[in-house]
Amino acid sequence: MDAISGLALGFGNALTLANLGWALLGCFLGTAIGVLPGIGPALTIALLLPITFTVSATGAFILFCGVFYGAMYGGSTTSILLNTPGESGSIITSLEGAKMARNGRAGPALATAAIGSFVAGTVGTLGIAFLGPLIVDYALLLGPAEYFSLMVLCFVTVSAVLGGSALRGLTSLFFGLMLGLVGIDLQTGQPRLTFGIVELLDGVNVVLVAVALFAVGETLYLAWRYVEGEQKVLPVGSIMMSKSDWKRSFWPWVRGAGLGFPFGVMPAGGTEMPTMLSYYAERKLASPEARAEFGTTGAIEGVAGPEAANNAAAAGVLVPMLTLGLPTSATAAIMLSAFQSYGIQPGPLLFTTQAELVWTLIASLFVANVMLVVLNLPLVGLWARILKVPQPQLYAGILVFATIGTYGISNSVVDLMLLYGIGIIAMFMRRFDFPVAPVVIGMILGPMAEQAMRQALTISQGDWTTFVTRPASLGILLVAVAALVGPRLYGAWLRRAAG
Amino acid sequence: MTLRRRSLLAAGLPAVAAATLPVGPAAAQQRFASLYMFVPAGPGGGWDGLARAIEQVARTAGLVGNFQFENVGGAGGMVGLPRFVAQRRGRGDALMVGGSVMVGAGITNRSPVTIKDVVPVARMTEEVGVVVVPANSEFTTIAQLIAALRANPGGVAVGGGSAGGTDHITLGLMLKALGRNPREASYVAFAGGGPAQAAIMGGQVKAGISGYSEFAEQIRAGRMRALATTGDRRSTADLPTLKESGLDVVTANWRGVFGAPGISAAQRQALSDLMSAVHTLPAWREMLTTRGWDDAFLTGTAFGEYLTRDIAATEGVLRDLGLAG
Amino acid sequence: MRGRGGADRADLGAALFVLGLGLVGVWQALAIPVSPLYAQVGPKLVPWLVAAGLLVLGALLTVHAARGGWSRGIEDLQDAAPANRRALGLMLAGLLANLALIGPFGFTVAASAQFVLVAAAFGSRAHLRNLVIAFVVALGAYTVFVKVLGVNIGAGVVEGLVFGAPE
Repeated sequence: MDAISGLALGFGNALTLANLGWALLGCFLGTAIGVLPGIGPALTIALLLPITFTVSATGAFILFCGVFYGAMYGGSTTSILLNTPGESGSIITSLEGAKMARNGRAGPALATAAIGSFVAGTVGTLGIAFLGPLIVDYALLLGPAEYFSLMVLCFVTVSAVLGGSALRGLTSLFFGLMLGLVGIDLQTGQPRLTFGIVELLDGVNVVLVAVALFAVGETLYLAWRYVEGEQKVLPVGSIMMSKSDWKRSFWPWVRGAGLGFPFGVMPAGGTEMPTMLSYYAERKLASPEARAEFGTTGAIEGVAGPEAANNAAAAGVLVPMLTLGLPTSATAAIMLSAFQSYGIQPGPLLFTTQAELVWTLIASLFVANVMLVVLNLPLVGLWARILKVPQPQLYAGILVFATIGTYGISNSVVDLMLLYGIGIIAMFMRRFDFPVAPVVIGMILGPMAEQAMRQALTISQGDWTTFVTRPASLGILLVAVAALVGPRLYGAWLRRAAG
Repeated sequence: MTLRRRSLLAAGLPAVAAATLPVGPAAAQQRFASLYMFVPAGPGGGWDGLARAIEQVARTAGLVGNFQFENVGGAGGMVGLPRFVAQRRGRGDALMVGGSVMVGAGITNRSPVTIKDVVPVARMTEEVGVVVVPANSEFTTIAQLIAALRANPGGVAVGGGSAGGTDHITLGLMLKALGRNPREASYVAFAGGGPAQAAIMGGQVKAGISGYSEFAEQIRAGRMRALATTGDRRSTADLPTLKESGLDVVTANWRGVFGAPGISAAQRQALSDLMSAVHTLPAWREMLTTRGWDDAFLTGTAFGEYLTRDIAATEGVLRDLGLAG
Repeated sequence: MRGRGGADRADLGAALFVLGLGLVGVWQALAIPVSPLYAQVGPKLVPWLVAAGLLVLGALLTVHAARGGWSRGIEDLQDAAPANRRALGLMLAGLLANLALIGPFGFTVAASAQFVLVAAAFGSRAHLRNLVIAFVVALGAYTVFVKVLGVNIGAGVVEGLVFGAPE
């Protein structure tokens, strides 16, 4: 079945009243769950698995797709408003998004995130329908050596968030690398930096650390510097995106979606790397006036790009799942086990043996995407009003909220101690002008890079040249070098031309 | 993560909730009004799947009134296990799911609480492993792969799950049977089945080892070539076992249920009677077929002895691999 | 806070903290069991690199602090309000209250105590009103989580009274 007739069949199934109802329920649940830090789509779908005993396969998968896309939309809302990212893909969104919200631009930030999610979701879903089977074979050509090189490329993006002092920025990065080491080493099964605490064997959750650094640390610092009797209410400002907001968002959406989708398709790609690369690219490509807003009052490009990248990557993850039966993310793994409880074996033959189900699923992704943007845009005004809550109750609420997400999923006091302990460290980091974003980048990239490097070296029997003798790996490394020295050379060339 | 699932979505989905209430024939006599089921892993995985399958069959048949679930995931069960041991001591109405992964995890993590601290009730299922190579591999028979491994184990990169797990242990045992040191293995651990399968299909590694069901669809679609299974007998007619290929290696990823420490002999008997009753139900057979699990029912002292042997064998090979202290 | 000899004592403290982190890294790298299996790149290489990096950075920061530090160059700090120990104390009390109460008394009690203390830190005097808000919101959140999603976020005294005894 070709893509066009497949989609026609799929839309025919997805647009029945019952299936639209499942999609709506999924979108609603997904958005609700997405706003909570720590509780993501994988866990939600896992909790919904028992319905596979009673609901038809089509209905169940439409529900799951709604949850999946809905969580992506919800995740950005709290990143922007409360500086508490709901999942790891929206951590980068909160860098600029929360700054925009603090400066009376919550409305445009939420709107650009929602529309960017829609654009990227649509691009990604089109990618699944038309490109998926074609590009997935190329994705398989990437091995650990290439992934290591990709992570090297992503490390370049740290330079965009190092702040005023390279010394302090690098210290933050190394703190993140250290946090990333906690847990059982994948290659040898040995516990590292766990201090003998069982709860640390699976490592420290990166969302927990992001919430601690961004939300808890910030709140503690504000209390430390609180002036008695002062009552500040954050400005809410205009809700709508201005003409210039649209203009500044458009290309970041497109570039973000273009970056995100291929990373999602890669079996070890994930949603975090493209958000980092998108942030870096937008910061470098922004006009001088817009660049001044990065890291200060919040630049809309820094929300539009990463948010689009996150959503397109999330869609891309479905490609290896549908075309090869490969679960490359926790959510995909749970969805595959749902296939199995219907007696459907997910694998490379899925597109032929279950064509109707697969195309209905893809069509319902389009449906969910439209529903979500229609549901979310009117909510922007409502969400933004959260910021009008008086300061004492707002900050108290943020802390309680961070606690729910952390304690709710693990029931572990150890996790709460980590949340508050890292929050206190973040308070001092703020006081001594250490940037917090490199901590998160180090924590995400460090473990991925280490494992990829060691996998590649095991395969090459210890030959370090594997990173430069494999053409794709070499190519990515050259891009990394270009990204690192290119802007400087260009600047030097400009000065020379001017002089 | 800790989760307690009751009637899911009871508020949002009354129709679904109503449909999942016990409706089956209450022919069997009820043995437990309420049973506490502890899953030391997150929802959606293998252990959770087994626990839910048991719930489904036992509740529908009326053997158990209702189940209370708790999931505490992490580190191959090593986060949940101490909690079960501490909180349910002496409780005869509590079951915990576990299996071979937990045996290995306890040893590699040097955990103070291990599977020896709970009471074995019944082994329910097992899954044999399969040795595969990429579709365009130079190896077409297991004999060729074995020869290559014998000549230079380091040159044959083998991909699989996390270090010290069932896949890694299988490779270690293979090398041991070949008279080589398991430490010479070139084992590449991947986080999760997806990345591992991608690396095998893309030819990044020379071979791969994992549970048969994990690779079954890729084998059927011709993206991987199966060379041998790791069971005692053939799982499919056209695939030899390692044993008949001259390597005395038999491994399987088994799953079963355990009781809390400190329960009386009578309480233990009641739990294994319950599992025997579940096992004889036609619904259980059906469940095994849909899920593609091999029946491996074993209870009482036989299971206890099996567990002791499994722990000793696992410990031995992990020590050879340098992963046990 | 600022020493006369040019060293910034607060900055020195921060630098020493980084050095301390590096030492913790070294200690934990030493504690990783030896794994002779992976001679090429074992589990210890990266922990050693990270620990060494932190030690070097900590040393550089110490030198920087001894030469006058960097805090005097931070613009934010020049016009920042002086430290408010009462507010910070109340904040930290809120965090500790949650840690101490969530186990024995459950989510609602712990979250309410935290909410009141944190709101007080930011100058709210309406403690009773805050308590009511917190109690209602926390119990509502608990209900949604436990009853609709089946995620247990810590049952305790209040939850037991409202929804029946905890298991």
